[in-house]
Amino acid sequence: MAFLAPLLLLGLAALAVPVLIHLTHRERGQVISFPSLMFLERVPYRSMRRQKIRNWPLFLLRCAAVILLILAFARPFFTDTTSLAGTLNGGREIVVLLDRSYSMGYSDRWQQAQAAAQEEINTLGPNDLATLVLFEQNAEIGARSSVNHASVYAAIARAEVGANITRFGPALQLAKSILEQSEFTEREVVLISDFQKNGWTGDEAVSFEEGIRLRPIPIDGTDASNVTITSVAFEREPFSAAEQVTAMARLVNQSDLNVTNLLVALELDGHEVATQLIDIEASGTATVSFDPFIVSEDQLRGTVRISDDALLQDNMFHFTVSSGQLVSVLIVKPDAATLDSSLYLENALAVGNTPTFVTETITVRDLNTDVLEGRSVVILNDTAPFDGPTGNALVNFVGTGGGLLAVLGESVRWTPEASDVLPGSFGTPTARLSSRSNVLGYVDYSHPVFDIFNAPRSGDLSSAQFFQQRPFTVTNPESVLARFADGSVALAERRIGQGHVLVWASTLDSYWNDLALKPVYLPFVHQLAKHLGKYVEPTEWHTTAQLLDVASMYAARGHRLEFGRDDPVAVAPTGARLPITGTDSSVFLELAHQGFYEIHTPGAVVDVPLALAVNADRSESDLATLDPQELASSVTGRAVTERLGNLVLHERSPEDAEEQQALWRYLLVAALFLLTAETVLSNQLSQRAR
Amino acid sequence: MATQRHTLIPGASFVDPKVLARIGNLELLARILVDGFINGIHKASSLGVSVDFAEHRGYMPGDDIRRIDWRLYARTDRYYVKEFEADSNANFSVILDVSKSMGFSSGGLSKLDYAKFLAASLTYLANQQRDRVGIVTFDSEIIERVPPSAKHLDVVFHTIDRAIAGRPGLFGDPLFRMTEFFKRRGILALISDFYEEPDIILSAVKQFRAQGHDVMVFHVLDPAELEFPYDTASSFEDMESGERIPIVPENLREQYKKLIEEHTLALAKSFTEQQIDYAVFNTSTPIDYALFAFLSARERMARVR
Repeated sequence: MAFLAPLLLLGLAALAVPVLIHLTHRERGQVISFPSLMFLERVPYRSMRRQKIRNWPLFLLRCAAVILLILAFARPFFTDTTSLAGTLNGGREIVVLLDRSYSMGYSDRWQQAQAAAQEEINTLGPNDLATLVLFEQNAEIGARSSVNHASVYAAIARAEVGANITRFGPALQLAKSILEQSEFTEREVVLISDFQKNGWTGDEAVSFEEGIRLRPIPIDGTDASNVTITSVAFEREPFSAAEQVTAMARLVNQSDLNVTNLLVALELDGHEVATQLIDIEASGTATVSFDPFIVSEDQLRGTVRISDDALLQDNMFHFTVSSGQLVSVLIVKPDAATLDSSLYLENALAVGNTPTFVTETITVRDLNTDVLEGRSVVILNDTAPFDGPTGNALVNFVGTGGGLLAVLGESVRWTPEASDVLPGSFGTPTARLSSRSNVLGYVDYSHPVFDIFNAPRSGDLSSAQFFQQRPFTVTNPESVLARFADGSVALAERRIGQGHVLVWASTLDSYWNDLALKPVYLPFVHQLAKHLGKYVEPTEWHTTAQLLDVASMYAARGHRLEFGRDDPVAVAPTGARLPITGTDSSVFLELAHQGFYEIHTPGAVVDVPLALAVNADRSESDLATLDPQELASSVTGRAVTERLGNLVLHERSPEDAEEQQALWRYLLVAALFLLTAETVLSNQLSQRAR
Repeated sequence: MATQRHTLIPGASFVDPKVLARIGNLELLARILVDGFINGIHKASSLGVSVDFAEHRGYMPGDDIRRIDWRLYARTDRYYVKEFEADSNANFSVILDVSKSMGFSSGGLSKLDYAKFLAASLTYLANQQRDRVGIVTFDSEIIERVPPSAKHLDVVFHTIDRAIAGRPGLFGDPLFRMTEFFKRRGILALISDFYEEPDIILSAVKQFRAQGHDVMVFHVLDPAELEFPYDTASSFEDMESGERIPIVPENLREQYKKLIEEHTLALAKSFTEQQIDYAVFNTSTPIDYALFAFLSARERMARVR
């Protein structure tokens, strides 16, 4: 015999209560101070009355009732294994892996999966142990190993579809670790899922030991038609003081059936602003371009929505847009420039929309303070107007955050004022026509201009041939970003105030080199302009299960969070408030749901609200399945598993034993019976006393 | 009983003119021989100068020839010296029990206040007789001690005024210690409620008697202690030990009264055998009346002796 709550046995001290009542018969009432009890204590009558127990049966009845009540609350149970004969035979332990990735929300798959899981629980014997593991990208235990099947059953009923993708690996690993600790010889993993191909790469390296079976229960999606919005792209153009944005949604038909008259709608700040009807072929894609809309500096929340199909999560795509994503580039060419001197540059900058470069080309005589207004980047293409008021205007422009690229070509002339702006000085052009052409020999890949070329097969900068260049002498060797193979400077940088100045010691057209004819030309020019224009690619949306560094997000927007003062709070799409606490700059917010998260800083002087669009990972939308038996075989290492029928003596947990025996109920009933008898007896006694 | 008045000597307020008027014409005489220095009203332990003839004795060289009884010489032709009994002043000390139980009061004066009146009145009376006055207060220990002196009336009154019933009391040890204080034979007035076994009380008080002191014992009791007038069943708490017992008073009133009467009778018998004057003072009895009765009885007894 043991007790689940042995500390409650201390309550047996409560027995002293009826004993004291009987023995002392303490009178209630006032306390009278008396000089001495010397004589009162000698009076024999009082002491006799105090020590007498007047009714032994009543006294014993009360004591017994109290004992039974305390024993009942201490939750007794028998530990003797012979009393657990029921556990000797047929015991097994199963782990039910229930897929709750968002593809399970397709049609009635989730209801089917819940029913299948509950059916598994129903088939368990009274001594079988069951564990529920809910999994999507990660796995978590929904109900621990227990013979209390009702709690597992309830946990299945409580579970909901998540917003993440399927990954079988973590779930199988968790099931393995649970069953490896089991003392049962019959152990089984029941995997209930829609068995998406994307959930199993084959590299998971999960292997069950001998004796653990894996039984897959595939949830059949008879109608697997599904259209997904995979992404939304934005094209930006300047529009007055704001920007005009065209949203383009990309849709994929995942099924083998044609889809016709699919309604695609664009919502901005909760209002539907445009709709289109489209047709998509089987396994085809479509792009829907909506009419442009205007965005200002405030964040605009948008959602592209398609008419409901069976899988709801991928029928919508959330994003946030705001202005400030255009890079304005001014190209300044010499007065006597040829017509095509800036042709490659202009065309290269006209391509692409991340970001959109707004270019304007002027001759150097038109350069003045007004023209520089609102520009992000100025490219001095083969000209160097650093003297006079224009020079001052350029220095001011760079000092206040502008970017300047000086391209040193044929017609550029050295003036002493140029040393105030450029990172060094240049000399007369060197022609290499007589000898071998030059190539780029050293490139600082750690610099933002070149970091995209760092990875293998991401552009060969050394493929361009340079026939002529300007010798450039830097004042600081560390300012060199690229050198030619002969060691002369190709690209150098200088920082003035908040802006950057880059010097390219050759041309950006096809006269002195063939860089403009190489594939790396366009990304190289774009990188130059992005770096000089301080362009940061906006994150229009995030993906579920992503961890977000809140502090760095605010830092990117120019706000410094002070934890302890600002106390940022995130409001999830479900409406739940998630306080974000931290003491340093690395505090993460887990994005668990699809929709819009809002982050507020209620403690800050000015609350800077930040909206985050979160979309479910679209890889889950591909409902293609894998063969469940194939997965089972690769995990267990055998095609057919044997049912092992050995007898197992399983030491159950005290909680289980107590719950099954439920001795407390009998004790409580007995206590109530005794208390009733006590009431009757004491009533009779008091009536007799009258 | 008179209310306390503010006077220059704090303890003097315990001396009530009404009491003094009543007992003023009485004398607090020592019933035994006491030691003194000056002429007083008590009989001294040595022979001295007074009007009371004591005896004749043979003349010894060195005796004052003025004390030779010439008439006897004329009759017997021998020198005899005439001896007279000496009168003396006495040491009068009050031994006041200030144990916590003395603070009990069932409505009027507490026992301690009554005892203070008693002590102050006796001290005043003694001082008027040119006796040296002193006081000792005690509970389980000796708390304060004022040695007897003719000039100590104020100090004694101060001590009486300061006395408070604070701690549990004990007979025996403190009284045994006091025997060291009273080397010179004198008059001792012991005032207490005597919640102790008679044997222990007697063995303690007997020490004073053995030293030759004239001991008066005043047993001060509240009427509630004598009559036990409580009706409702209550918890009774011992003032000194804090012990509580539930009591139904009506069931044990008679037994209690019997026990306390036996106690006083046992004390009276024991003290009388030791030639100690003993009196029970009920605090509901006016002190002038009680003291008058006691002193006049004592005077009568002195005459008998």
